[in-house]
Amino acid sequence: MNREKEKKKQKFMTMERRRVMEAYMFISPWIIGTAVFFVYAIFSSIKLSFSEIVQLKGFVMEWVGLANYEHILVYDINFMPIFTEVVIDTIINTPLTLVFSLIIAMLINRPNAGRGFFRTCFFLPVLLGSGYVMQQLLQIDATGSVGVGIALPSLLQGILGETFSGVIQAFLDRITLILWKSGVQIILFLAGLQGISSSLYEAAKCDGATQWESFWKITLPMISPIILLNFVYTMVMYFTSSDNALVAYILDQVFTSKDFARGAAMGWVYFLFAFVMCGIVFAAARGLSKDKEA
Amino acid sequence: MEMVKIRKIPRRKKMKVGHTLFVAGMLALVCFTALPMVAMICRAFMPLDELYLYPPRIIVRKPTLSNFADLLTSLSASEVPFSRYIFNSLFTTGVTVFLSIFVCCAGAYGLAKFKPRGSTTIFAIITAALMFSSYVTQIPNYLIVTELGLVNSYWALILPKVAVAYNFFLVKQFAEQLPNSILEAARIDGSGEFGTFWKIAMPLLKPAWSTLAVFSFVSNWNDYFSALVYINKDAMKTLPLALQTLAGGAGVVARSGSVGAATLLTTLPTIIVFCIMRGRVMQTMTYSGIKS
Repeated sequence: MNREKEKKKQKFMTMERRRVMEAYMFISPWIIGTAVFFVYAIFSSIKLSFSEIVQLKGFVMEWVGLANYEHILVYDINFMPIFTEVVIDTIINTPLTLVFSLIIAMLINRPNAGRGFFRTCFFLPVLLGSGYVMQQLLQIDATGSVGVGIALPSLLQGILGETFSGVIQAFLDRITLILWKSGVQIILFLAGLQGISSSLYEAAKCDGATQWESFWKITLPMISPIILLNFVYTMVMYFTSSDNALVAYILDQVFTSKDFARGAAMGWVYFLFAFVMCGIVFAAARGLSKDKEA
Repeated sequence: MEMVKIRKIPRRKKMKVGHTLFVAGMLALVCFTALPMVAMICRAFMPLDELYLYPPRIIVRKPTLSNFADLLTSLSASEVPFSRYIFNSLFTTGVTVFLSIFVCCAGAYGLAKFKPRGSTTIFAIITAALMFSSYVTQIPNYLIVTELGLVNSYWALILPKVAVAYNFFLVKQFAEQLPNSILEAARIDGSGEFGTFWKIAMPLLKPAWSTLAVFSFVSNWNDYFSALVYINKDAMKTLPLALQTLAGGAGVVARSGSVGAATLLTTLPTIIVFCIMRGRVMQTMTYSGIKS
């Protein structure tokens, strides 16, 4: 009896082990790729940020401790202003992008609204990506506004006065950018929305729920995984896009001034922040889903 | 009967008005999102004097083909045939997309469906990797690629971009929803683990990876930064990089017309791929087939 039990246990263990082996067989190509081009690269980048390059040929480095970081945070007059500007931009733009793309996705998702056509049109700017065209469009106006976005009519500008219309114009510019960048989010939301079975809405309707109520009680909870995915995607998109001023500054530091060590340190300050932000989002999402279960 | 009729007519009218308003609003938004596309196409045909007008103009007034002619002249002046650049771009992008989809799908499937020990660590690495811009790891990656002796080879453009965290993350979100019952059924019917993955899981994950194929095609095709870093031989350059350098780059005033033409030419393939895959991506994105 006892032996039999042991045998069973052993067999179970080997089964278990076999499954783990099989699992790793599937994951291993990805692990290798990540280990070489991400994990190793990350560690050398950390090392680089704490060092000074003595000799460019062969990359001879010397440990200098926190000197690079000190230089960036204390002496570099450009870094902090650009950093705060980018951070504030991201914090404002991410929720706005999510809200806008969810609204547009829900509008497109309405029956007989020319779904295919609108879907394609909203996705089109994504094809241009952060490419050259986008950059040119963004720089098209020397005054710093997008220039090709929704402009306030001059009559309204006269009525509202300069400061006030400036604020509104800035807001419109922001929305222009957001619309151009939310193609992927709209599609992901659409996928989520179409995954919700219509019987849920019918049931809610029978129980007397208004559309507003069924949005909060059915739509939002059902697409919450997509919201998390989109949130992270959007935030990362803003953090890493090449028209981001800080990324441009880091690249300039590395490839124009050839200051690899300081560039690496800047990258680390920046991405530690991105890391914290995404951590907060994940923690919040986990907290919310636990609340729901409880 | 009468009552019903009376109530029905105004409602339908209201619906109609609402619908037209809705379509009009959407069309306005569409005009707006189409703007970058229109601007790009117009820029390719804009004569130089219109390009430097202030305030800038989006729609071209006197379209001209001289930009393309300029581009052709500078192309024929270079030693490498143009078809070589097209091949370089197609080959590296194609292989990258294929490998990336295979590696990410296999990994995501293994992680989501087997949940082996250490899977939480792997997922932590993925979420961390999501947040890093490739620019941070660019210098170390350059050193790695150099050490592996891959500079100026196609592999330098392919290998660093295979294990992409975002692709993995997206497929994993979908793989979590694969019903275990189908996989179990395949196993009971005697299918091996790889067979189950290839014949059962991959078709079910098609919405995820066909979308991924388009995304990663677009981003890899447009990416001229890694070619700029890893490639310094003319014959190995990819199309976007070659066109930008031939056209003289962004700063050269005299050739900014041909830059516009070059941009249009490089964007065309992504538009074509998108148009071909559009139906599949958009429709299969409804992963209702996966949901049990």
